[in-house]
Amino acid sequence: MMCVRKRTLLVLVIALSLSLGGPAGVATGQAVKNPDTFVSVSFGDWDTLDFAWAYDTSSQQVIFNIYETLIAYDGSRVDRFVPRLATEVPSARNGLISADGRTYTFPIRQGVKFHDGTPLTAEDAAYSLRRFLMVDRDGGPSSLLLEPILGMTKTRDDKGALKLTFADLERAVQVKGNSVVVTLKEPFGPFLSIMALWSSVGSKRWAAANGDWDGTAATMARYNNLKKESSAFFEKANGTGPFKLERWDRAGKQVILARNDGYWREPAKLTRVVLRSVDEAATRILMLKAGDADHIAISRREQPQVEGDPNIRLIDNLPWLRADAFFFTVDIDIRGNPDVGSGRLDGAGVPANFFSDIRVRRGFAYAFDYATFLRDAFRNQGMPPKGVIPPGMLGFNPNQEYFSFSREKAIAELREAWGGQVWERGFRLNILYNAGNVARELGARVLKDGVESLNPRFRVDTRGITWASYLAAMNDGKLPVFWVGWVADYPDPHNFAFHFMHSDGTFPKSQRFKNDEVDRLVMAAIKETRRAEREKLYFQINQKFYELAPSVAPVHQVVFRVQRSWVRGWYNNPVFPGTYFYTVWKGAS
Amino acid sequence: MTAFILRRLLLLPLVGIGVTLLIFGLLQLVSPQMRASLYVTDPRQLRDIDSIIRERGLDKPVHVQYVRWMGNVLRGDLGWSETAKMPVAKAIATFFPATLELTVFAVIPILGLGIWLGTLSAVHRDRLLDHVSRFFSISGTSMPTFVWGLLLLMLFYGAWQLFPPGRLSLEPSLYVLSPQFRPYTRLVTVDSLLNGQLWIFVDALRHLALPVLTLSLVSCATLVRVTRSSMLETLRQDYVRTARAKGLETPVVINKHARRNAMIPVVTLSALLFVGLLNGVAITETVFGYPGIGLWGVNAALQLDIAAVAGFALFNALLLVGGNLAADVIYAYIDPRIRLR
Repeated sequence: MMCVRKRTLLVLVIALSLSLGGPAGVATGQAVKNPDTFVSVSFGDWDTLDFAWAYDTSSQQVIFNIYETLIAYDGSRVDRFVPRLATEVPSARNGLISADGRTYTFPIRQGVKFHDGTPLTAEDAAYSLRRFLMVDRDGGPSSLLLEPILGMTKTRDDKGALKLTFADLERAVQVKGNSVVVTLKEPFGPFLSIMALWSSVGSKRWAAANGDWDGTAATMARYNNLKKESSAFFEKANGTGPFKLERWDRAGKQVILARNDGYWREPAKLTRVVLRSVDEAATRILMLKAGDADHIAISRREQPQVEGDPNIRLIDNLPWLRADAFFFTVDIDIRGNPDVGSGRLDGAGVPANFFSDIRVRRGFAYAFDYATFLRDAFRNQGMPPKGVIPPGMLGFNPNQEYFSFSREKAIAELREAWGGQVWERGFRLNILYNAGNVARELGARVLKDGVESLNPRFRVDTRGITWASYLAAMNDGKLPVFWVGWVADYPDPHNFAFHFMHSDGTFPKSQRFKNDEVDRLVMAAIKETRRAEREKLYFQINQKFYELAPSVAPVHQVVFRVQRSWVRGWYNNPVFPGTYFYTVWKGAS
Repeated sequence: MTAFILRRLLLLPLVGIGVTLLIFGLLQLVSPQMRASLYVTDPRQLRDIDSIIRERGLDKPVHVQYVRWMGNVLRGDLGWSETAKMPVAKAIATFFPATLELTVFAVIPILGLGIWLGTLSAVHRDRLLDHVSRFFSISGTSMPTFVWGLLLLMLFYGAWQLFPPGRLSLEPSLYVLSPQFRPYTRLVTVDSLLNGQLWIFVDALRHLALPVLTLSLVSCATLVRVTRSSMLETLRQDYVRTARAKGLETPVVINKHARRNAMIPVVTLSALLFVGLLNGVAITETVFGYPGIGLWGVNAALQLDIAAVAGFALFNALLLVGGNLAADVIYAYIDPRIRLR
């Protein structure tokens, strides 16, 4: 009740104040504030700056501007590439892709220097690729390249023993003259798409000098699945990109990037980029209105507060390859876990395997009021969630069955769950979300309300934690239910099918979910070269996604961006983890 | 007076032990796995929680655990804060100066205005000035802090762009983070003056203005009310009437005779108010994006960051004990009856 009053009061205050100091309070066409510095204000924090460890968009955005890949996407296109640290994009025509489609040669650009002034070599590029393959932390991005290059999705066996050898790495990634040659296990269609975002290059010498892997067989095992903070790349950076890390100021919750004046291309127009975290959305909006922020992260709910201001540009309906879902962990780590209550099915908690019963998962899925969520969180800017693959991609099935809110069906499923014990004894658990994400917070509450309304013995609480902690708890299997969005790593349905459904994918790994038939379907789909057959396989995967409900997509959301009108040169690429600041500058409207 | 202070100081260790027992007792309510972060200063150690439990004796009897934990506490080793991504002791040292700075600046208008308005209100009882003052104090206390904060922010920043949120603007903050700026005290206003950077000092004051105003509105109101009622009580005393009868001028009667005695409850309240602000003004810090200890404490609590919460609680308890001691000493100084009792 108190919460409702506070919220109402808050809305009234904001409405009153905006009427006093809203758009009319800021002069139009005002001079560009801090013309050489771009300030982007969001919420949450950054997980790591290690390109082999980071697998979230906050961290990736920073990495994306500090490090460079061998090839890159051509502007906003996802079907065309440009050379970056390589001098050419491999193709069959230029002979850099072998006739059997397995060997890719990347000639490394000369005259490029790292931020510490040392020159880039082919050895650095090979080292970085090998390290990316070898680190393979739980739930990390390594599988993206492990799969095409080594034909494996993980480097450890089921007992956790390292099965990857240094010889594997040497054989797959070689230095030949001034080129890096990558040999794939089998031809892999989207390989260049993956390389365009996931082939960041760091300095081998710098890494070794800072206590990271020295690139030898002897020390390799020590860095496999390494703890985040153990990496030399965790909070320090030495890339070749247009910006260098000036500071990760944890106390001030900001990351500051400075222009790399020794950049091999023309230096960036911006001299500095400041990425700030401000928890309060109203403060972020005021910063944007005042010109102290050039771009802010807000939710759909806050969208009306920035509409109609001539100094603010709202770009809507952005094409983004993205899917959101809430995931059920089928084998929760209940040791010292405050989010599972007693850890038993006694009415005061949930056991580790609570969600391993499909009826529980489906019961939760039916208990979610999708229409209310779409209205309240996204102002109806979205569409019903039809499967795991987003619209516009091969494998998206407009006729796919999907969950809709049904109290009766939810009750029916949960009455049967665990032989009736769930219904009889009740349970208690927490649903977590990353603090500051209004949509996920609302989603968690909608799910809580839906589930609690079924049976007075059902108790669900919601709790917001910082992004980095959220990711850590997710990877450790500590979150009973978690809510995450997924932006494509490369524009291919496999990237969604694998990470949402395959047992070695990021989310199923965190959920401890494994289904042999699904694994087989996912791997068959990536190997299938006939488009129609491939589409059929993804339709089957979508159907499994619905039937097994390891996770539930609440909505296909429509993405928008809010920035000052004076921002120039920004473009959207559906798979970018954030803004590529190299092309951005600020100029009067 | 010295004996009084000594007596109070002798009680401190006992209070300290009581506080640590209370915090440690509460910590026992959570599992050893969750308490493991209390015993590490590097997150890499958290990889093997079971060995931490064994090595640090988290499976041993409670009294053994308490002694070990106290050993850590006395060495200043309060564990690892996942929220701050740094050791708890370092997090306190990092975030506390910002809150201290805010508190010091806030307490000046709070005390000055609170006592002045409270006195005026009492002296002009039931007249216009009294009504205005009471309206001010009622509205100050009845409106939640975040409402004041957002209102002020939207007016003074959103509409007029006078006082921005945060601790510093972009350029000053970059300068402060640069190697040429020496952080002597970590209080930006003080350090900027010591570094001879007046522009940073002015910028810091601009950023402090709204949080200080918010805290003043909320906290000053309580002080006005207490001062007013205390003054009214004092003004009714015989010795005040005698002073007036002797022909002393009203300002002398009020300032020298009445106010000093009326100050006794006000001093206690002021000391507690100061410590309360130091303990972290979480809502104000959240609204203004001000990186203080309160914001960290709240985030830590929300994340069940056990080491941070325990360290924060311990630090706050010590502040409170110190604040109470200071209040007692000032109390004794103002009122001889206290120290002679």
